[in-house]
Amino acid sequence: MANLNPPVDIDDEAHVNDQQVGYAWEDYKRSWDELQEDADGSLKSIVEKQINRGKRKRHLRDTSTIQRGILRHMFIVIDLSEVMLEKDLRPSRLELTLSYTEQFIQEYFDQNPISQVGIIVTKDGIAQKLTELSGNPMDHIRALQNKKNTETEGEPSLQNALDLARSTLIYVPAHGSREILVIFGSLSTCDPDNIYNTIDQLVKDSIRVSVVGLAAEVQICTYGVVLNEVHFKELLFEIIPPPAITSAQYKSELIMMGFPTHVTRKTPTQCMCHGKSTLGGYLCPRCQSTICELPSECDLCGLTLVSSPHLARSYHHLFPVGNFVEVPWSSASSTECFSCLLTFLSIPSTRSNQQLPEISSGRYKCLECNNHFCIDCDVFIHDVLHNCPGCLSKSESSKNKLVSSSSTPSSSIQQQTNGDSSHNSKGKNAIKNRNES
Amino acid sequence: MKDTVSVSEDESNLLVLIIDTNPFVWAKAAASPGGLSFDQALSQILVFINAHLALKHDNRLAVIASHVGVSKFLYPITEANTHLSEEMDSTNDSNMYQTFRVVNQHVTAGAINLLKNVDTQITTLDQSNSMDAGALSMAMCYINRLLRADDGNHIKPRILVITLSSDSPLQYVAIMNCIFSAQKASIPIDVCKIFGDETVFLQQAAHITNGIYLKLEKPKGFLQYLMLTFLPDRYLRTTLCLPGQDQVDFRAACFCHKKIVDIGYVCSVCLSIFCEIMPQCSTCRTSFGQSSLMPTGGLGIVNGVQPYSITPYTI
Repeated sequence: MANLNPPVDIDDEAHVNDQQVGYAWEDYKRSWDELQEDADGSLKSIVEKQINRGKRKRHLRDTSTIQRGILRHMFIVIDLSEVMLEKDLRPSRLELTLSYTEQFIQEYFDQNPISQVGIIVTKDGIAQKLTELSGNPMDHIRALQNKKNTETEGEPSLQNALDLARSTLIYVPAHGSREILVIFGSLSTCDPDNIYNTIDQLVKDSIRVSVVGLAAEVQICTYGVVLNEVHFKELLFEIIPPPAITSAQYKSELIMMGFPTHVTRKTPTQCMCHGKSTLGGYLCPRCQSTICELPSECDLCGLTLVSSPHLARSYHHLFPVGNFVEVPWSSASSTECFSCLLTFLSIPSTRSNQQLPEISSGRYKCLECNNHFCIDCDVFIHDVLHNCPGCLSKSESSKNKLVSSSSTPSSSIQQQTNGDSSHNSKGKNAIKNRNES
Repeated sequence: MKDTVSVSEDESNLLVLIIDTNPFVWAKAAASPGGLSFDQALSQILVFINAHLALKHDNRLAVIASHVGVSKFLYPITEANTHLSEEMDSTNDSNMYQTFRVVNQHVTAGAINLLKNVDTQITTLDQSNSMDAGALSMAMCYINRLLRADDGNHIKPRILVITLSSDSPLQYVAIMNCIFSAQKASIPIDVCKIFGDETVFLQQAAHITNGIYLKLEKPKGFLQYLMLTFLPDRYLRTTLCLPGQDQVDFRAACFCHKKIVDIGYVCSVCLSIFCEIMPQCSTCRTSFGQSSLMPTGGLGIVNGVQPYSITPYTI
């Protein structure tokens, strides 16, 4: 384990800390200790507090702008060994994995529109490519829904799967990230060779491997082990936002891309991608061949084809909305949520002054525009919308924000790229911060 | 593309109406031959709103004004602001349906207030820009709240943008974010363009969210367009033949010269688009390696690697 290098083993430090704390089963939470009645003898406030904490947990993350690998290439390795039929996760490990993988793929393409995914399954000691790297979510989901593709058998082979993924990923252009996500249920693996050689190879090719284990941790790579169904989903979805750029091998490049126009014809033509005849389609601006779907790569001339909304979909990773802060009762002057008109609790009277710290005011403030929002809007704005309605609704602040949104990242990124060494350490710090949070 | 969410006949419709109240463009629209003034348009919008509410007893409505430099809810308004419309309450017609009266009052009072208060910041602003992005964001938050409170999924939201202003490039990212979150929640964004040039952003919004984009040929017939095109709910839309877009411009404008390009160069870090090769990205200051890019780009040599010749690329 000690000879593993950071690119593969990004969580190493966090993991060491974990070990000092003790094993997972030694550290348990007594959730009933937290439940205490408030002054009125009711549990409502404490329960609300816990719910709110859970809601906010997800988005209190690092919003500083770092360079992110937006063009991603990822292989998902799914274990199809017999142990996947265990029913310790409901309804069974396999079914849960498949349904979460489907959700994962949809969410992944939603946030990383011009990225690609491929699926590898491993069973009976061999690894098999279910789908090639491609940018169309439906291909993968269809493959997963086909029951024939997901029959379980024998033991998995981690090494074969990793090697298979590596053999494709090494051809990925240097400006794209190379990632493997392994969902592994088995405790053993049936490998032809020493797996550490494979891992060293992966490190050399700067391929980042994340593993989600369904059973227990095995001493190969460090990874997250699921505690229950919800935790499984959390672990999986943590991988969706594009990773910060850490490795020095990552090259920034100008990529030539075409923006095809959509046409509808009266006579059918053959499409380049499937060889079917179609009436409509997108025309490659370089070779004028017809392509069915975007984003893709022209099969004739190899030009990357995207539409401008695809690019715009990634922009929110670059200009994230700052975290909102909770408003204390002392400054809780607003009566309703700025964006959804939800009426806030009014300031409690002095009689119940004692419980002021207990109940939160339910107001969350954007530090840029000083508007107050309710918790649901707070979550929605950070998770889905990626816009602050307050900043956009005020002329002065919106102007500042929009101007700064184009200048801030440039300055911070500029700092990072000043020298290779400082760039590296900064990127790592960012990763560390993310792990801590 | 059909509506991906199943809609049935007995569902309540939430219409979020975003009205462009920018006085400068309205003045231009009124002055143009065959044009429409804001007063006329507002009274026609009120008729449309009443028609929407009359269609079904549980139809819901929100009206947001996208004004110069500010966007604001006109309806519903919260208790703190009710006094504004109470002052207006001069006509008490017992023959009028109560809900209509309240809605009409609130919307008119809100619009008048906005127009009264505009004079302060005009000089600092580009006069043609309304706060479309802010209004859309508020609409999304409001819809999100109602959907959250709605257990049985009975509310089917849609957004109608009544606009005259042209695109504001500063708001591009924000508008796109709104469009994508609307697409995710399958909320159609309809656009009714009364006057002026085509807005590319809103055109894309309608296309991506499966809404209707309509540019009025005769602004005088505004009400008729509203009634015939935008009144039918999402259930009826599946059976009606509504105006569609012939062509959607998906080409991008380069960041360096604002030229529309069909083949461009994209920074791999921040995805900025350029029309020519640059040594350094002007947005994120990344220096680009010399290694790979072949500007003339013969067949097959795009990124300096074999483009998936070993693993055939499939769609």
